[in-house]
Amino acid sequence: MMKIINKKSKYTLISIASVVFVIAVWYVCINVLHLKAETVFPGPLTVVKTFVQKLYTKAPDGATLPVHLFSSLKVALLGYFLGVVFGVPVGIMMAWSKWVDRFVRPLFDLIRPVPGLAWIPMFILLFGIGIISKAAVIFLSTAVACIVNSYTGIRQTKEEHLWVGDVFGATNVQKLFRIAIPTALPMIFTGLRVAMGAAWMALVAAELLAASEGLGYMIQQGRYSSKPALVFVGMLMIGIVGLVLDTALHWLEKKVAKGMNAE
Amino acid sequence: MNEKVKERLLSVLCAVISIGLFLGFWWWGTQRTQLGKLLPDPGTVFTAMCGYITGTVGKCSLLMHMLSSLRRVLIGFVIGSLAGVSLGLLMGRYALARAVFNPLYRVIRPIPPIAWIPISIIWLGLGEQAKIFLIILAAFANTTLNAMTGARDVDPELINAARMLGAKEGQIFRTIVIPAAVPAIFAGLQVGISSSWASVVAAEMIKAENGLGWIIQAGMDNNNMSQILAGIIMIGVGGFALTCIMRTIEGVMCRWNKSGR
Amino acid sequence: MEQERKINTMIECIHAGKIFHTPDGEHEVVKDLNFSTRENEFLVLFGPGQCGKTTIINMIAGFEDATTGQILAAGKKVEKPDVSRGVVFQSIALFPWMTAMQNVEYGLKIKGVGREERQKRAQRYIDLVGLKGFEKSFPVQLSGGMKQRVGIARAYCNEPEVMLMDEPFGALDAQTRYMMQEELQRIWSTEKRTVIFVTNNIEEAIYLADRIIVLTNCPATVKKEYEIDLPRPRNLVSEKFLALRKEITGILDSSQLEG
Repeated sequence: MMKIINKKSKYTLISIASVVFVIAVWYVCINVLHLKAETVFPGPLTVVKTFVQKLYTKAPDGATLPVHLFSSLKVALLGYFLGVVFGVPVGIMMAWSKWVDRFVRPLFDLIRPVPGLAWIPMFILLFGIGIISKAAVIFLSTAVACIVNSYTGIRQTKEEHLWVGDVFGATNVQKLFRIAIPTALPMIFTGLRVAMGAAWMALVAAELLAASEGLGYMIQQGRYSSKPALVFVGMLMIGIVGLVLDTALHWLEKKVAKGMNAE
Repeated sequence: MNEKVKERLLSVLCAVISIGLFLGFWWWGTQRTQLGKLLPDPGTVFTAMCGYITGTVGKCSLLMHMLSSLRRVLIGFVIGSLAGVSLGLLMGRYALARAVFNPLYRVIRPIPPIAWIPISIIWLGLGEQAKIFLIILAAFANTTLNAMTGARDVDPELINAARMLGAKEGQIFRTIVIPAAVPAIFAGLQVGISSSWASVVAAEMIKAENGLGWIIQAGMDNNNMSQILAGIIMIGVGGFALTCIMRTIEGVMCRWNKSGR
Repeated sequence: MEQERKINTMIECIHAGKIFHTPDGEHEVVKDLNFSTRENEFLVLFGPGQCGKTTIINMIAGFEDATTGQILAAGKKVEKPDVSRGVVFQSIALFPWMTAMQNVEYGLKIKGVGREERQKRAQRYIDLVGLKGFEKSFPVQLSGGMKQRVGIARAYCNEPEVMLMDEPFGALDAQTRYMMQEELQRIWSTEKRTVIFVTNNIEEAIYLADRIIVLTNCPATVKKEYEIDLPRPRNLVSEKFLALRKEITGILDSSQLEG
């Protein structure tokens, strides 16, 4: 028993040492040996300083970090929400009804291989630079991921389970809501998480290309004004928010799945 | 058999009707509504696209643009996925490798490759290197995790079987762990290739002289919707082709996993 | 007498025991296990329930350490798996990405035996287990019984001195199971080896064994030993067979009551 615990703590120590080592090497290379100028590769201290400063200063891009963050989140969640509300039911209907599948799938198969962010130029021409074009890109990215996963999930329903439904005289709608959708729920949640990743990526791309606010805009401005520390802060922020959103969905999935089992 | 043929005919018929209706609405919309001011009709897009393929758009033909995008993806993807798969396999099999690299990997993984564009431009300039760097990252981030899970979740009974037949650790890694992880690796490669394709388009949109991303970006700058749509179509075709190629390779490599079912 | 026994003994369990540490506390699955094998005997470890039997095989194979006592193979302490002890798994554990032939020749390949030589030797065992014609099939394409035939050929092809079989037919349906018992009996008569065979099926035990060691349930330890000297191949409904079956089942019931 002790042996196992010791082993675990040994590896934890190695992990910590590894991170500390990388940060130390980073510090030594930049701040002691000056292998690269801080205008190209900022040292760790500069990054931390920039982060703290950016919490309340507006330079050089006209907004503080919380404002950028809020702006990004607003657009991402709006597009995401619409995409889920549209994508999940469409995926379910395509899997449940042969006729919907026959007519909708060919169109869907045409759109599917196009990465969401490739629509950005078109949407900017159609809707102008603003929240609508960005939300539209995120909507598309989200909807595609949701449709694919909901479709697969419903298709996994076992025929035997549906027969049980038939035996008890369930209507088609009852079979869909009581048997197929619960079966598909884990896949639907996978879809929600994949979609969140895609949405977040599409948003960053859109903000890099055309925006006046948001984390993507912030890192692009950091590049223009030669402040790589700001770019680092923005990237880390993008990573952390992505991780938080994914963790939140994961938590929700566990909650809902648990509720299903309890029933 | 007859049923199957019937079903196939029916779905083809439905696909034709469905796509036909879509194109019809599109055409009608551009002719009869305000949409016409923003969007060219399908015929115009088709003619323009044929022109781009036989003639030039920017410096070369549309197909050449597609080839330069594909070239970037292939170079970056090969390097990135080789690195990602190797690191992932090591992390999956050896707790020490996991302890050293996993914390660092976990910092990098949630950052979408596209968010690296500005810093890659600062570091590597506006040329090919920055774009390939980006694709390496996209391929790496997506393949590592899958290879790691694949190597970690190898059935311990298979490892025991190899041990009782005399295999040493190195042989177990080569002959058992790696092949057992192949299906998981391919799941990662599949995501990786899509992500790489999206990343190359994004990188070319930010700054490039050729490539499909440039096509749609330049189309936006010149207010040329036909060019954008032609670009989007080619991006779709490219993405579809890459996925198909990956699937075919997977089918051959994982024959043992599916055959007989 | 003492001298002779020692030479022929391949596997010895001396006060061997195994305690697992789980979050719920200590869990003793094998306790003070004592037995040794004789040359080329078919020894069956027979016991009820799920507890301890697989652990015994895993300890003899060298996959797990004994926490108390020790296990010797040819006089040396077992510390890790060795080619001299072949294992046939309950889960079969074929390498799914290899064909039947590749599975069987794996051990020889690891040893560095040349391609032609190893295919020749593997072919012999494939023929022996009756899989001629299926050399190029992948495990997914084979039925449960055929898969376990590959498993047996794979273990045999490495020419171990002792075969350890952990409920090898546990996952098979009754019909296939009978067939496989007959097959194993035939293979064993052709290729005499010391076999330690674990099962919870009494008919299987009496049908195959030279000697049966009856184990208690949780922790597993030796309850009683039976020499089975019925002539082979055995008749499942002969009077002697049924009498033995009744007797051992009787032991089992009382041991279960105690446990």
